[in-house]
Amino acid sequence: MPKETEYAIEVENLTKRYGDLLAVNDISFTVRRGEVFAFLGPNGAGKTTTVEIIDTIRTPTSGKVTLLGMDVTKKKHDIVPRIGVLPQGFSSFDRITVRETLQYYSRLFCCANTDIDELIELVNLKDKTKEQYMNLSGGLKQRLGIAIALVNDPEVVFLDEPTTGLDPRARREVWEVLLGLKKKGKTVFLTTHYMEEAELLADTVAIISKGKIIAMGSPGELIESNANYLALTLHSVDERTFEIVRKMGFEPIHDNHKNIKVRVEHTDDVQKILNAIKSAGALYLSLDVRKPNLEEVFLKLTGEALREDPPEMEAK
Amino acid sequence: MNLRIISANLVVKLTSFYREKSAMLFTIAFPIILILVFGTIFMSQDNVSYHLCVQDLDQTNSSAQAVKTLELSGTFKITRVDPAVNATRYVIENQVNLVLIIPKGYESSLMQRMTLNDFKASVTITYIYDPSSSSVATKMQILNAVLAGMNQEMSGYPPFIRSVQTSILTKKYRFIDYFVPGIIAMSVMTLSLFGTVNLNTELRQKGVIRKLSTTPITRTDWILSNILYQFILAVISTIAMLLVSYAVFEVNLHIDAWLLAFILLDVFAFVGIGMILTRFVKEAQSAAAAANAISFPMMFLSGSFFPIELMPGFLQTLAKTLPLYYVNEGLRASMVFEDNMAALRYSMVIGVFVVVVFILGIIATQWEEGK
Ligand SMILES: Nc1ncnc2c1ncn2[C@@H]1O[C@H](COP(=O)(O)OP(=O)(O)OP(=O)(O)O)[C@@H](O)[C@H]1O
Ligand SMILES: [Mg+2]
Repeated sequence: MPKETEYAIEVENLTKRYGDLLAVNDISFTVRRGEVFAFLGPNGAGKTTTVEIIDTIRTPTSGKVTLLGMDVTKKKHDIVPRIGVLPQGFSSFDRITVRETLQYYSRLFCCANTDIDELIELVNLKDKTKEQYMNLSGGLKQRLGIAIALVNDPEVVFLDEPTTGLDPRARREVWEVLLGLKKKGKTVFLTTHYMEEAELLADTVAIISKGKIIAMGSPGELIESNANYLALTLHSVDERTFEIVRKMGFEPIHDNHKNIKVRVEHTDDVQKILNAIKSAGALYLSLDVRKPNLEEVFLKLTGEALREDPPEMEAK
Repeated sequence: MNLRIISANLVVKLTSFYREKSAMLFTIAFPIILILVFGTIFMSQDNVSYHLCVQDLDQTNSSAQAVKTLELSGTFKITRVDPAVNATRYVIENQVNLVLIIPKGYESSLMQRMTLNDFKASVTITYIYDPSSSSVATKMQILNAVLAGMNQEMSGYPPFIRSVQTSILTKKYRFIDYFVPGIIAMSVMTLSLFGTVNLNTELRQKGVIRKLSTTPITRTDWILSNILYQFILAVISTIAMLLVSYAVFEVNLHIDAWLLAFILLDVFAFVGIGMILTRFVKEAQSAAAAANAISFPMMFLSGSFFPIELMPGFLQTLAKTLPLYYVNEGLRASMVFEDNMAALRYSMVIGVFVVVVFILGIIATQWEEGK
């Protein structure tokens, strides 16, 4: 029996090359038992490569990966029954129904006396049990994929982009399922493009870019150490306000909607700015003060956006 | 090897098969259509019957009797032409190639010969024919032979030279009997080859194989369940073909364990080739094209449709290098000629081939992708 360590996953100096391409470049990290660990990064960062090396689908070029105390390159046979995997772009047999699919996968695992009804309930597919896979919507397919990953009651669950391509409602439904897993104390390894997802679900986030981990910590820590400021936005200001703020020594930015944005260090600064505007008799319609999120951390660290589409909060 | 896993796979595959109507069609209807189409073509070759127009100018009981005798010979399908029409014009207008004319006075000449023993009494039967027709010469030869027989019969003496036909085969077999085993071998080949190629490329492209590689299913389980599935389909397809062959063409075939053995060997050989193909041809479309490139020449060169003795020598040599040839000949040895020693010989050749291809196929089947 391998020794039970505090860590579910230990990765040391992992490197993966595809020919000349260095997809994963000497990364090391650990995942504690029972935590939700998120890999956050843009397309081609090396997320899938890393996950699939850990969950035994691919083999590393060099480095050591230990999963549940076992070397993934040597103990695939012992590891597989104890993990559950939702691969990226998951797909299943077209003409097999939801219930039959779950029965099939549960029969692949020895002695897994899976409660299929409970699983169906967990991923909220009760009305669809007799539906063939090919007739399910994208969100339902993804939920079935998560259920399949759970048929053997695994200790570690790997979910490679479980919400990509889903509409906001379907995404929220998947989040519910993942929060349920977290409550049950499963170790979850998640990859995603969405910082909201990482912020909401993860205990630890690793930001990966071009095969390297460039920052790692809890979402709060990451924001604290990389984007330690507040963003104040004043809506529908008149001309004088911009000058008043600028003269106070801040660096306001105009956007084309008569709004200004100011970065401040403390909440006190917000108070000072508002007082100055008020005493000068200048006007603004409304305001908001926000802590920056992982999106901004990512921008600061890499100089590139996490996704191609413009971040929502800039659009207002 | 794990029976629980193999049976789980079989259930999924057979359920998918049952629910996918086009696959059903391909497996069952297509071979049946082949049998029906080719069977009909070859049947008409087996029972040649010629169309013959007869114009009876005598219109007596005796002349009618003569026409009847021609008809009963079994070689001709008779159309009676109205004595009033011009026979030459009839040939041109109706696009027939031959009209046989029984002259007026047939009965009276016959009476003279039979009752008065007048050897000078005779009749002349006229053939009005179209020499541009290719089959008319054969038709006239057969007609001459039939008429000679009738003459001999009327003479009242038994013939001196008789002939008896002894076939080299212990029983009479027709072309359709020879043809059906070839179609069985060919259909099983096509099913196994394309089934394996399609299933594997599709599941790999969709990432199902990647998912399966994170479950306890092994490569051996996967391959064995594939074989078993293809074997079940092959048996279903063979049963359908045999039922149609018996019902429509009343074939005379011997069915025993050799049939199952050769189907199994056929399945193994071409599932193996399919596995090797899918390893080297990644895209689903090019894999199907490659399967075509293999199965098409195999169909025509290995004697599925006609005996390879009809082909030029170098093609015969080539045929003997093709695995399907040994399945064809083996099936014929057991189903048509009931020759167990020959069946054994053929099964050993294909057996060796199967072992080699299958080992290569197992090595070629790659579970983990993007190593
Ligand atoms: N099997 C492979 N063969 C060759 N190159 C590959 C292979 N798989 C991935 N790559 C390359 O390795 C790099 C990392 O790919 P990977 O799939 O790990 O990225 P990712 O972070 O999962 O991206 P995405 O968000 O698009 O899923 C990419 O440049 C990709 O093109
Ligand atoms: Mg990926």
